Amino acid sequence: MTRLLKVATFLALKSIVRGNVGIILLTIFMLVLVTMNLLFVPGLINGATMSMNTILIKTYSGDIIIEPGGDDTVISHADDLAQSIESIDGVIAASARNNINAYVTFEDERVNCVVIGIDPAQERAVFEVADSLIEGRYLDSRDRGQILLGVQLAGADLDDIELYSSSLRHVHAGDKVVVTYSNGIEKQYTVKGIFDTGFIQTDVQAFVTDLEFNSVMPNMNNKATSIRVKLEEGVDPELIIERIASMRSGLAFQTWDETAGLVESMTESFILINQILNVVNYLIAGITVFIVTYVDVVNRRRQIGIQRAIGIKSRSITISYLIRALFYAVIGLIIGILAFKYVIIPIEARHPFEFPFGPAYLTTKPAYTARMAFILLSVSLVAAFIPVWRVMRIKILDAIWG
Amino acid sequence: MLEVRNLSKMYGLGDVQVRALDDISFSIADGDMVCIMGKSGSGKSTLLRQLGLLDRPTSGEIIIDNEVVTKLSDDARATLRLQHLGYVFQEYALLAELTAHENVYLPGMMLGDKGVDFKKRAKELLDLVGLGKRLRHYPKELSGGEQQRVAIARALINNPRIIFADEPCANLDTISSRKVMETLVGLNEEMKVTVIFVSHDPEDKRYARGLIVLSDGKMVKEGAPIQ
Repeated sequence: MTRLLKVATFLALKSIVRGNVGIILLTIFMLVLVTMNLLFVPGLINGATMSMNTILIKTYSGDIIIEPGGDDTVISHADDLAQSIESIDGVIAASARNNINAYVTFEDERVNCVVIGIDPAQERAVFEVADSLIEGRYLDSRDRGQILLGVQLAGADLDDIELYSSSLRHVHAGDKVVVTYSNGIEKQYTVKGIFDTGFIQTDVQAFVTDLEFNSVMPNMNNKATSIRVKLEEGVDPELIIERIASMRSGLAFQTWDETAGLVESMTESFILINQILNVVNYLIAGITVFIVTYVDVVNRRRQIGIQRAIGIKSRSITISYLIRALFYAVIGLIIGILAFKYVIIPIEARHPFEFPFGPAYLTTKPAYTARMAFILLSVSLVAAFIPVWRVMRIKILDAIWG
Repeated sequence: MLEVRNLSKMYGLGDVQVRALDDISFSIADGDMVCIMGKSGSGKSTLLRQLGLLDRPTSGEIIIDNEVVTKLSDDARATLRLQHLGYVFQEYALLAELTAHENVYLPGMMLGDKGVDFKKRAKELLDLVGLGKRLRHYPKELSGGEQQRVAIARALINNPRIIFADEPCANLDTISSRKVMETLVGLNEEMKVTVIFVSHDPEDKRYARGLIVLSDGKMVKEGAPIQ
């Protein structure tokens, strides 16, 4: 076996070194393109998914959502519970929230939305909505009669936003809107600020201080419809949930990914598209190697016949072609991966793809890259083997003299 | 000892079966130098290809050292060619991407006898055929006669017991032809290698000690050449 490999390697090296440089470079170039393409789509999907997940956590769900369990509709002693949660190692902050459905009216427009009562300081610690203001200012703890609107709710004369036609259209910071709560109370508010997080489910919400909320719903004092928890990076949410559950019974928990229904279905679609594109890419790689090897063995049929006639084993000749195919694929992979990592990713980072939920940055996962490389090498080997195997079945004399 | 018994070879040309070799039998002793002659299409090259194990006969047997080699597997035949037989083609048949030196040592590399420095031996063989200074030349940089001598050196790399040469001088000028034939005679006399060569040139009989004449696939004469 050693001799077979030695002769095969010798033949492959001579063929590469003294072969047609143009064809070798073109083949490698094709495999570089295939490699970059195989990395690009999943890289974009990973980037988009990460971007979506990040924005979901930072503006909508937090890392953990705590809700009343069983028949309860509210969490009692919510402030105490939030404080206790914040004392757990790995928890950055916890914010108690109260929700109520309402209609917001401005001029002739009337829009249904959820108004959320919050402690602005705690919300700032858990979410980044305060950093997404496009008009006005964020709420202060003592604010009364002031409301914060999402851009998809306010409209803010931005007619290119997704839900503009169903928004209040022309509301800006400083305008006055009327809120009709589901309990029948109607109040006028001054719009203190408008935020645009890029995440539609957040941008259709409205916020008031818990002070204001308690004036509308006095029975909700020190109660919450949910508590949102922000964790330190890398902390396992399940461990924190266990700790919280041991503090207080009768609560229901959700992690951020359990709330990501829309994001998940988008990710699944992306993955399916990626798989289809990958099959096409592997086919292109296989066909490229097949054509190059096929043309080569047809052109060298006589030389292969001579090699066999002088005693070179068919297996050695076959392995020499497989080594060549591996060479093309390995070089293509190395250049493709390096070019993707050190050229494409930095360029894209400077000019990221913009999605409705924010910019998506290309990323690579080592496990995926390794799997892709393994499949590409396997495809190249099979693609090279087929034409060589066919030529090896031809009689020596037919190979030499046709 | 090389022995041929009732060897026949049929080719199919469409619906027509052509009998290229017809019931041929002979034997050649070790160290002999035999010329196979005949007109064009008489079956000389076909016979040599059967003897050199490049093709399989339709019927009959080829026996080398009491072993019937006609029924061996392709792999076993390749091993036998590599270890005991050397083949010189009419059209030189060198590998274009390899230098003269590499062309010669490649079969040695495949055989890989322990302790044998096949690169050194290839150099010695190229010296022997007068091409010691052209080791690094590619086939396209060599004349026809030089290429044929490289092919002879290649055929010798594994110390074969029999060398088959298929019209080795067919494409060469007179001077080159003489050099090639003298090289073969020298190998036969000095290294005691059995040489079986095909030629259509009656003059080449003088190099041989045995003669086989074919006509329409049949052997019409066997014995010593008439000078």
